Amino acid sequence: MDAGSVEHLLHFVVDRLEVGILAVDTEMRVVLWNRFMAMHSGKPPEQVIGRNLFECFPELPQKWLEKKIRNVFLLRNYAFTSWEQRPYLFRFHHNRPITGGVDAMQQSCTFLPVKGDGDEVEHVCINVFDYTDTALYQHKLMAAIGELESEREEQKRLIKRLEEAQNQLLQSEKLASIGQLAAGVAHEINNPIGFVNSNLGALDRYVQDLLRLADAYGVAEDALAARPPEFQAVAQLKQQIEFDFLREDICSLIKESRDGLDRVKKIVQDLKDFSRVDSSQEWQWTDLNKCLESTLNVATNEIKHKAEVIKDFGALPEIECLPSQINQVFLNLLVNAAQAITGRGTITLASGHDGDWVWIAIADSGCGIAPEQIKRIFDPFYTTKPVGQGTGLGLSVSYNIVAKHGGRIEVDSLLGKGTTFRVWLPLRHETNEAVDASK
Amino acid sequence: MNAPLLTQDQKDALQEIANIGMGQAGASIAKVLDEFVQLSIPRVLFVPPEEIPVALALTIGEGQVSSVRQAFHGSMRGEALLVYGDQRCNDLADLMGYDGKLDHASELELLLDVSNVLAGACLGEIAKQLGMTIGFSAPSLMADAVPLESLLQAEALPWKTALLVEVNFRLEQRSFACHLVMLMPENEVAALAAALDRFLESF
Ligand SMILES: Nc1ncnc2c1ncn2[C@@H]1O[C@H](COP(=O)(O)OP(=O)(O)O)[C@@H](O)[C@H]1O
Ligand SMILES: [Mg+2]
Repeated sequence: MDAGSVEHLLHFVVDRLEVGILAVDTEMRVVLWNRFMAMHSGKPPEQVIGRNLFECFPELPQKWLEKKIRNVFLLRNYAFTSWEQRPYLFRFHHNRPITGGVDAMQQSCTFLPVKGDGDEVEHVCINVFDYTDTALYQHKLMAAIGELESEREEQKRLIKRLEEAQNQLLQSEKLASIGQLAAGVAHEINNPIGFVNSNLGALDRYVQDLLRLADAYGVAEDALAARPPEFQAVAQLKQQIEFDFLREDICSLIKESRDGLDRVKKIVQDLKDFSRVDSSQEWQWTDLNKCLESTLNVATNEIKHKAEVIKDFGALPEIECLPSQINQVFLNLLVNAAQAITGRGTITLASGHDGDWVWIAIADSGCGIAPEQIKRIFDPFYTTKPVGQGTGLGLSVSYNIVAKHGGRIEVDSLLGKGTTFRVWLPLRHETNEAVDASK
Repeated sequence: MNAPLLTQDQKDALQEIANIGMGQAGASIAKVLDEFVQLSIPRVLFVPPEEIPVALALTIGEGQVSSVRQAFHGSMRGEALLVYGDQRCNDLADLMGYDGKLDHASELELLLDVSNVLAGACLGEIAKQLGMTIGFSAPSLMADAVPLESLLQAEALPWKTALLVEVNFRLEQRSFACHLVMLMPENEVAALAAALDRFLESF
């Protein structure tokens, strides 16, 4: 090939290359403008060649770009721009059907110093590369990475939840086995209580008999005209053992013991009722006042040093419910009420009956709940209490139990004054629900 | 650090060339920035790449750094690494034709631009003194405000030796510090050594 045809080839390639190629002289006049530039800018070479670049394209950032080009003249060194920092130099359309948020051709540019015969740079040649595909791809990649990251965050959150739930499960498992244990112990205690109780009954009768015998002796003694000297010793002994006090005290001792035993029996019965190992999942006709009483007895330790308990029970018809679960609800509400009280306060228990519904209200004189918090208290894991005291599950479990019964819980609270929880339950529950619930 | 790659004579020659080169580079950078530029006498030393952060910490101090890498090729091949401190080179914005407050993208563009100018001037001058010609690829961001220790952790592996040419730039009104590191594979250091020998023979 001769020099002429090489030059022709070179000229052809520069013109047809799928890269924008332009060159300017030191006066910023355009001296080269290839087909890519002409096509995308809509300005053919004859409109551009020989004219000042910034006159032809007033939208270019002149101050910065001119400085950049001048630096290439001065330093005789390459310069660059990248689409990542500056999406484009020339605002060209791009012909991608799906724009993916990119509205103009993304460009990276290279600025080449073009030396003349000497060492001086006479022209700066700018190559404009179309990076739109890369940019679109990158945008997609970033979006995908962002999605992955938020998914990972969500996963972390869920794992944490799961751990909490598992802890909770362990906790309730523990409670359940303690309940079972308590029921077993209660059962064991019942036996000795039974025979102590009947022994005490017999003892009571025997003592009465003995006392009657002693009385008869006294009468006989009084009837004797002359008392043999042995009676002297009897009189002395009577005084010594304070017989008159003894015969009164022995009766009240026995009575107190029998009362005490009755109380033990009651507590044991309440424990059994509360844990209901025998009939835990059976729908039963139940008196809610009794339920509340027995739950109160179980929880008395939690409550007695915090609050005075006032009872204002109305007469209630029996309702059909799962007593052990209703007891669970009452226990949660009672413990919450006691925990809401700092120092000493009162807890008022009330009940009533209205048509097909009965209600139980548990009111405390505690800290109250702020209005914006009320909608959250039934959320699982929502708690304002320190670790160890609160799990945030009490109310959510209670809510579910009451909902299963077809009932509802109402909350009425005044910050700083106190809170009332009112549980409404229907007299009867729907049969199809019973099938569900007994599973 | 023992650097058996260059003899003492070659090292001296390299220091000499760096001194002259930086003088020239300073003059061209001054033309670009329209301000008088002071360049420290370059500190030239060879270190294994894993010691670069330690070497840099001595002059930059602790704290966040940003860095730019730029490949050069031609009769000498390698990568130039430019490391900036907390303030990067934001102080130079108006001198490079930026108006108003810099957003993050312009801040990075400015960083790449200034790096290109500095690497081009300094390495270009050194190459010229050695009678070599080199070209540059587009610079790219390597670290955007990261702790100094995390710089180069995974990056340096392919390079056996780093030629640390440490230069401080200072302008009359503004100050910014930048550290220039040349990374070269072993066989390229051999090419450099040969060029240094030719340079020594020319006297
Ligand atoms: N009687 C009450 N007085 C004030 N706040 C209450 C009362 N009952 C419940 N709360 C609030 O509702 C939250 C959730 O209660 P609960 O579900 O029983 O979980 P926990 O008692 O374990 O915190 C409590 O942490 C508390 O902030
Ligand atoms: Mg609770």
